[in-house]
Amino acid sequence: MRHFKLAMTMTFATAAAAIALTAAGTAQAETPSWCGPKKATLALLDGYGGNSWRQVTTASGKQTAELCPSITAYEYADGQGDTQKSISDIKSIAAKGVDALVVFGDAGPAMLPAITSVYKSGKVIVPYRVNVGGKEGENYSKFIGSSFVNDGETWGNWIKGILPKGGNILFLSGPAGNSQGLDELKGMKNVLGPEYVFVNPEPFAVTNWDPALTQKVLTAEIAKNDKIDVIVSDFGPSLVGALPLFQKQGKSIPALATSDGNSLGCFWHENHASNPDFKLFTVATGNDNVRLAVQWAVALATDGTPPTEQIFKAPAFEDSVSGQPSPVQCRKELPGAIYLSSELPAEAQAKAVGN
Amino acid sequence: MNAPPLTPTAFSRPAGLPMPLARSFVTVVLSTIVLIAVCAVFAPSSLSWGALSGSLPFAAIIAIVGLGQLLVVQQGGFDLSLPGAVSLSVVVATHYPQQDDALLFQAVLVAIAFALAAGVLNGLLFSVFRLNAIIATIGTNALLYGAVFAVSGGVPSITTELLAEIAGGETFGVPNSVYFALAAMAVVSFVLKKTVVGRRYEVIGASPSAGRAAGLSVRTHQMMAYVFAQLLYCMAGILIGGITREPTAFQGDSLLLPSVAVVVLGGTSLLGGRGYPVSTVVAAFFLNQLSQFALAVGVPYSAQTIIQALALGFGIGVYSLRWTLNVRKSTG
Repeated sequence: MRHFKLAMTMTFATAAAAIALTAAGTAQAETPSWCGPKKATLALLDGYGGNSWRQVTTASGKQTAELCPSITAYEYADGQGDTQKSISDIKSIAAKGVDALVVFGDAGPAMLPAITSVYKSGKVIVPYRVNVGGKEGENYSKFIGSSFVNDGETWGNWIKGILPKGGNILFLSGPAGNSQGLDELKGMKNVLGPEYVFVNPEPFAVTNWDPALTQKVLTAEIAKNDKIDVIVSDFGPSLVGALPLFQKQGKSIPALATSDGNSLGCFWHENHASNPDFKLFTVATGNDNVRLAVQWAVALATDGTPPTEQIFKAPAFEDSVSGQPSPVQCRKELPGAIYLSSELPAEAQAKAVGN
Repeated sequence: MNAPPLTPTAFSRPAGLPMPLARSFVTVVLSTIVLIAVCAVFAPSSLSWGALSGSLPFAAIIAIVGLGQLLVVQQGGFDLSLPGAVSLSVVVATHYPQQDDALLFQAVLVAIAFALAAGVLNGLLFSVFRLNAIIATIGTNALLYGAVFAVSGGVPSITTELLAEIAGGETFGVPNSVYFALAAMAVVSFVLKKTVVGRRYEVIGASPSAGRAAGLSVRTHQMMAYVFAQLLYCMAGILIGGITREPTAFQGDSLLLPSVAVVVLGGTSLLGGRGYPVSTVVAAFFLNQLSQFALAVGVPYSAQTIIQALALGFGIGVYSLRWTLNVRKSTG
């Protein structure tokens, strides 16, 4: 009798385990709705692939494409910051017969003729993040932008929360006239009134997103302005080398509203105790923008259902004041040049950036 | 009347000026004093100690790469492999140790090994195979960038604590990188001006054929120019690795033009010959202070660029003006 009970229990247990395993298997094999039945090939074309942000982004794009079994081949090309090469990459990949192209058009409108000719030849082409001009359905299949105005508004709201009576803001962005910086400024001005003074030259202090130039610019701004209440920067990690300048000039590091990065989070953990004014707020740096673009391209190429979102809005990520949506994060054992806000797991990012 | 001398700085010593060194030195020092006066009036914040201690490390970097470029220019060449060389030593000094202080020393040795190899290659191409210096060093630059990608994959890496402390720290209130630049200047000046090798080096630079006629080993001296230049770039690269905590893999790109600019501002002729290391270092300070001035006045980016271009044009114009006067005088 006892043996019979044992046998029954074991049978049930085995059956339960088998059912669970089957369910898991089905869940894994279940294809997302944007992945249709038609077989297709996909290529990701980068305008410039030479930094960790881009490598994490590329790995994210690849991972997204792998979720769809209808995608039979995936290719990648790096324009290496060279407009001519980026254009010829697009043309040669299209000539090779790839069905869908996702393009990071760093060179902006200069890429439009190549993109248009590929679209006219009947392929699916989805530029994303950098505005290349042109129109949907005329020059390309779909443009998946990123709402930098939204980033600016998110920062602006946080600044209002920590400095309700106004204050001095130093805004740092990349190359002169880059549209990302201009949009972010627009977003901040939508939220912040005249009691918030921008101390940088109009529209933003130019840093080219280069850590050395950032250091020089910040040196001059700290010396010039007695009071900087908050720094806004759209590339947080490039500030890590420059922030100790405040201590050198005998001041506390001020509040900082920016985008996330592992090195920045760790820097905050090491320094906030000795810098009473150092509050940190980050928005996700936007590696996942590529996922939405890949989903759209795959949906159009394989006859799947396109996602409902048409523009990528970077969510808020860390806030050292409220701890919402997340307190400041640091993974000291992993490379500094990864982005904990990204959907791609931190370990996979570390592998993507080659460490 | 005789034909005017080709390089008056090297050959004609006008009576009344005791030292030929004095002219370039005086010019660049005067320009720097004028700039400091202008800064004091229009952008006093750029002269505060905090601003100086933040910007001097970058002046030191420009000075060191400028000294390297000076050595090559003295032999009538141009070293366009500077961006690749600096970037390579930056990535070797940061990627190889991966934030482990114990590996820093080996990383520095590896960087020096790369620098020696690149220098010998440039030297061979220029002195033995007689390639044009610009063509040869462009090729080497591409090779060096290949190595940059092989080491780093184009990804920045964070500096080790020890390197940040050595290169980015301060001693007696002065950034350590400034001491490195002064030491490099002292060594280059001493060797060029006070040793037999240095004197021969300048003679060969002024006229390789005269050097050869005098029985000097022209090839060896020309080759040395590239090797020592690479060692200086390597030093600058390692310092950048420490000064910026998370340097990019392309940190050398923005240094090529300043390196040539300070050589010219320092009064060294691009045709080769006599070199002015001290003036080159002062010119590096001048150039750096100029960009800090442009930043500190708070004008838009376009105006910053124009201010810098005008001041550079003025600095170089001062020399061409004097040069023309000289020629007129000597042609009567």
